[in-house]
Amino acid sequence: MKHFFAVLGALWALHFSAGAVKAETIRVVATLSTFADLVEKIGGEDVEVSFVAPPRFNPHFIEPRPGDVLKVRRADLFVHAGLDLEPWRYPLVDAAGKSELRPGGQRELDLSQGVRLLEVPAQVPTRAAGDIHIYGNPHYWLIPDNVRVMAVAIAEKLSEVDPVHSEAYQGRLRAFLDELDRRVEKWRQDAQGIRGKEAVAYHNDLVYLAEFLGLRVAQYLEPKPGIPPTPRQIQFLEGYIAERGIGAILQASFYPRGSSDSLARKTGAEVVLLCQNVGERPECGDYFALMDYNLSQLTSHFR
Amino acid sequence: MKKSILLAVLCLCCVFPHSVRAGAPPLDMEGLTAQMDELKALVVDLEAMVRSQQARLEDLEQANRALREGSVGPQVVLASPAPERAPVTAPGLSAFNPEIGMLADVTANLSQSRADTEGNDKLSVRELELIIGHDVDPYSRFDSTITFSDFEDVALEEAYITHWGLPLDLKGRLGRIRPKIGKASSVHRDQLDTVDEPLVVQSYLGVEGLYRTAAELSYFLPLPWERVTHEVTAGVMEGGIGEDGTLFGSTRRRPSLYTHLKNFVDFSDLTNLELGFTHLTGSKDADEHFEVNAVGFDATLVHYFTPQNKLKLQSELYLQNRDETDAGLDDNPWGLYALADYRLSPRFGIGGRFDFVEPVDNAVENPRDEDVAWNGYLTFYQSEFARWRAQYQHLEEADGGNDDKVFLQGTVAIGVHKHQLQ
Ligand SMILES: [Zn+2]
Repeated sequence: MKHFFAVLGALWALHFSAGAVKAETIRVVATLSTFADLVEKIGGEDVEVSFVAPPRFNPHFIEPRPGDVLKVRRADLFVHAGLDLEPWRYPLVDAAGKSELRPGGQRELDLSQGVRLLEVPAQVPTRAAGDIHIYGNPHYWLIPDNVRVMAVAIAEKLSEVDPVHSEAYQGRLRAFLDELDRRVEKWRQDAQGIRGKEAVAYHNDLVYLAEFLGLRVAQYLEPKPGIPPTPRQIQFLEGYIAERGIGAILQASFYPRGSSDSLARKTGAEVVLLCQNVGERPECGDYFALMDYNLSQLTSHFR
Repeated sequence: MKKSILLAVLCLCCVFPHSVRAGAPPLDMEGLTAQMDELKALVVDLEAMVRSQQARLEDLEQANRALREGSVGPQVVLASPAPERAPVTAPGLSAFNPEIGMLADVTANLSQSRADTEGNDKLSVRELELIIGHDVDPYSRFDSTITFSDFEDVALEEAYITHWGLPLDLKGRLGRIRPKIGKASSVHRDQLDTVDEPLVVQSYLGVEGLYRTAAELSYFLPLPWERVTHEVTAGVMEGGIGEDGTLFGSTRRRPSLYTHLKNFVDFSDLTNLELGFTHLTGSKDADEHFEVNAVGFDATLVHYFTPQNKLKLQSELYLQNRDETDAGLDDNPWGLYALADYRLSPRFGIGGRFDFVEPVDNAVENPRDEDVAWNGYLTFYQSEFARWRAQYQHLEEADGGNDDKVFLQGTVAIGVHKHQLQ
């Protein structure tokens, strides 16, 4: 009997000490690795952050696994892209079943709020225009202006969920924005040789980067966002590339290479791989490294 | 005969990619094509110009607003939405309108069988599902599926409430559901990799799988592993069985019980394995209680060779335990299926399924002890919302008959159509 109480006491103590450890950090689950990276930059040691979509996969089409459901269920904050970037997040949040993390809940953060969106359709969205991107182009983090807005939103939300560390969050936010400013200046300089050039892309996920760098990307291997390349579209692009003297076919590494490679062979253009998300390639370890890598890929092509 | 049917299937499959190509301009219209391309380029230029002017306009508007609000601090951040911000109408965010989706499943089925059952030797709208769902309050959600068919009456396939606000992080479902029994039966038919349910599911649980009115609870076991999860589901459902199912009798008054344990191992981003165990108990005889038992095992291995090339291996086995000694029947009929599905590319997938099932009432004089079927299929993914599939099935039945079937299936979805995670 004595033993029983001793064990019970130990368990009780363990329970509370575990609780005390938990209180120091808050658990954040982001849909994408890029968002997780931003949360980590601003949350620092005060947050424990993880993400759902493996960066080596197309973020539009992810199949969340039971471990992800548990992760979201245990989260203090759920950070996502909003719009229709991750259509899989609805069943994920449903399965996790925590009302605060559901759309409109206290502990979800929709990063699309307040960012500048491109390609927002003037008329009512329709699927005839493609499966995804029906509310505007949702790949909005490849332009630093939007990342500023996202970082501010993250800092605000973290402060709201965890007011104790609010000052630390604001401090890290300022440091991040300063660093971003420095980098933006450098990126702008590096992009001099890219301005006014044109490329085609596999998926329409580079408009923001293109706008930032002054690059022109207007045609895609996918005839509509999310619809795989068709022979007809490839044939059209052959003519388009030849006529406009385009030398680069841009794509993220998770898209199949077949169509791009064959188009490159036929036209003499070069396939240039760019990172869409943090961790997609070893060179893209965080947001700054990702932008550095994308720029170096582009500048070495357009040199 | 078999070969010729296979050939026909292959020919049909080849038609799909060609139809995509059909719109390409003929070669003798080069001049016209060039003009078209010029026009296209012009439109693109104009688009770009409009876009850049729009962007400039917005920038000016924002600067203007910022000035007016006197908020030009060291960090000029666009906290307020830009004028062309997306309307917040993403599914699930729309205020009070229920999410409505419709799913049409059109199948053609060519068979040598004389039986006039669902879709034999005809083209039919096998199912038109009307899917309506919405959050009820922060703790619960309502989902329903009403099925129309050109062969059967309107059916209420699903109508249930999911409840999360339960103690111990339990999740509950109440109403008409697809109970968590194995893999194939617990999902909608349009989520299957094949046109038809595996034969063991058809034979024991029902041609469309099993849906019943039930109360079900599920619970993630609170174990510390990162990469392994265990979920237990248990439920009580009304008696009876799915259409043409033979596991239980048709009396709905006697409830049946089921439990399911799902173990999921995430080896890496690329590979995962699910092992499941199901137990079912119910009655066949209206005068008895829980005299029929069945256990099910399911295993699913998924591996991605690349983000586009996915291999799925799945198998389910069901074993019955009952007392039919007096009737001279087998006490432990069993059946299984094994499926391999490979996604070749974003557009195409191929696969095969082997079926083996011992009929519950197989007469001793029958030449075979079991039904065996071999299936091969090809899937064309037109988009996330439209899919085409051709399946060939060679069936050898216990009663000695053989059948060769060809299924063609088109599945299209409109509106909101979200699947529960499995
Ligand atoms: Zn996209």
